[in-house]
Amino acid sequence: MEEPTTFERHVYKNASVYHYMKISLDLENGKRSFSDAQFKQLIISALKELYGEVGAAFPFDLLKFDPSSLKAILRVYNKGLVKLWSALTLLGSYQNEACAFRVIQVSPFLLALSGNSRELQLGESLTS
Amino acid sequence: MSPELEKCPRSLLVCEKSNFMNEKSRHDIHVSKHSFNYKISVLIPECAVLPANISGVISNFSPYYLVRDLPVYELLQEKYYETVLQKGTVYAVSYNTKIDEDNSIALLPRGQLVLSLNKDAYEQLGLEGRPSLYNHRKAMRYVVTLNLSDKTLAPGTKRYQRVLSGLKDRLPLRYDFLFTEYNTGGDEDKSLYKLLSQYKPVEHKAVLSHHTLKNLPCPTLYPSDLKGTTLSCDPHSFLEWLGAVNLDISCENAADSFLSTYICPEPKSSVSQALLCTITGFISPEDVYLLLQELRKYFDEPKFTPWLSLTVHGFMDSPVSWGATEHGFLKGGENFYNLVCFKNQDYWLHMATGAHDGCPP
Repeated sequence: MEEPTTFERHVYKNASVYHYMKISLDLENGKRSFSDAQFKQLIISALKELYGEVGAAFPFDLLKFDPSSLKAILRVYNKGLVKLWSALTLLGSYQNEACAFRVIQVSPFLLALSGNSRELQLGESLTS
Repeated sequence: MSPELEKCPRSLLVCEKSNFMNEKSRHDIHVSKHSFNYKISVLIPECAVLPANISGVISNFSPYYLVRDLPVYELLQEKYYETVLQKGTVYAVSYNTKIDEDNSIALLPRGQLVLSLNKDAYEQLGLEGRPSLYNHRKAMRYVVTLNLSDKTLAPGTKRYQRVLSGLKDRLPLRYDFLFTEYNTGGDEDKSLYKLLSQYKPVEHKAVLSHHTLKNLPCPTLYPSDLKGTTLSCDPHSFLEWLGAVNLDISCENAADSFLSTYICPEPKSSVSQALLCTITGFISPEDVYLLLQELRKYFDEPKFTPWLSLTVHGFMDSPVSWGATEHGFLKGGENFYNLVCFKNQDYWLHMATGAHDGCPP
């Protein structure tokens, strides 16, 4: 039988190497079909447009992509968060069609993206 | 490139390990102090069906009520006062108010009313408060804390009249509220509903959903190695993997894949099946504690898995996180904790907060 463990406590500040973003793409003329590779390529082109080839040369992961709702979860190194977020914000069009990225949630913990209380909808609010 | 572009908001992760049987274990305090719980997620590796005792506890969770357009001064009326203070298990939080934009209000058990107000509301209300700990250069947010159990705030006192007139006349705040109270199964349990009946509360039950995951790569965890230096993976990788499981993210990608390079942290093994169960709503800490007790009993009989995980997410917009520690929303309002329960009753507790939060206890 294993001995019960001794007490330990550690506090980590800014120890997460990555940030995670839950985003969605709004298109002016409604939905169109995107593959996950096309979606990632769109984000890369937004980065290159704003920061150039060298500035955009950092990796990020498209952890999940839902083609029906055009929602995605991205993972980026902390150093690249501001660049990625700003590039997503400033992308205005795709193939001559107006579009906008909406950043739904950002967190240094991927687990936090699965529990967003702002999604709790209990019918129409009268005081909004 | 400017170094400013590489900065990130601050985050904190507190990791503790101990044993549930240890007298000095503080797991019960940590659970009880996290008052506002929005979502619970349970992951049990090598399990296909939700055990009956656990689903029984979940179905007995206290309901919560949505009350539309409740004037805040009502919470000071004597009838609420007595019920709330007597019971000590009533929780309330304003619904659909964003703490980084609007005013946000919460009622803690034993009658502590916390109002997180923007500058205009604070000045108009005229009550004593303090500037938020998370103001930038100018104070744009203030926190007013009213301890309703304090003798100086008893009905009839000057201070009580001042507070009441502030909330009734100077700044008549009205919000939608979520209320819950821990039900002990007695006759007095419907008293909250009767109290709120004037405002037509709508009862809701926490929503349970569960499904079985197949062929899941799963990190191997050893209770003695919390930091992940030798036998287990580090806490951040473990929490990242838990997030991936909850969000249905693939953990098996090639290192040269264009889309994603995310993989399950090492050391790992593959489990043939795992149960993922989520409960969403407004859940009292007492109900969370009951669920934890039942999950600990899962290991009373021999099981294939050496551990299971319980994650509890707080409300992004509540003015407090643990106890009365101020909570805010900068780029995110995360305040969650995760308990890994091992079969020998050891546990790991990870508590995570974002930039506008105090350090978890």
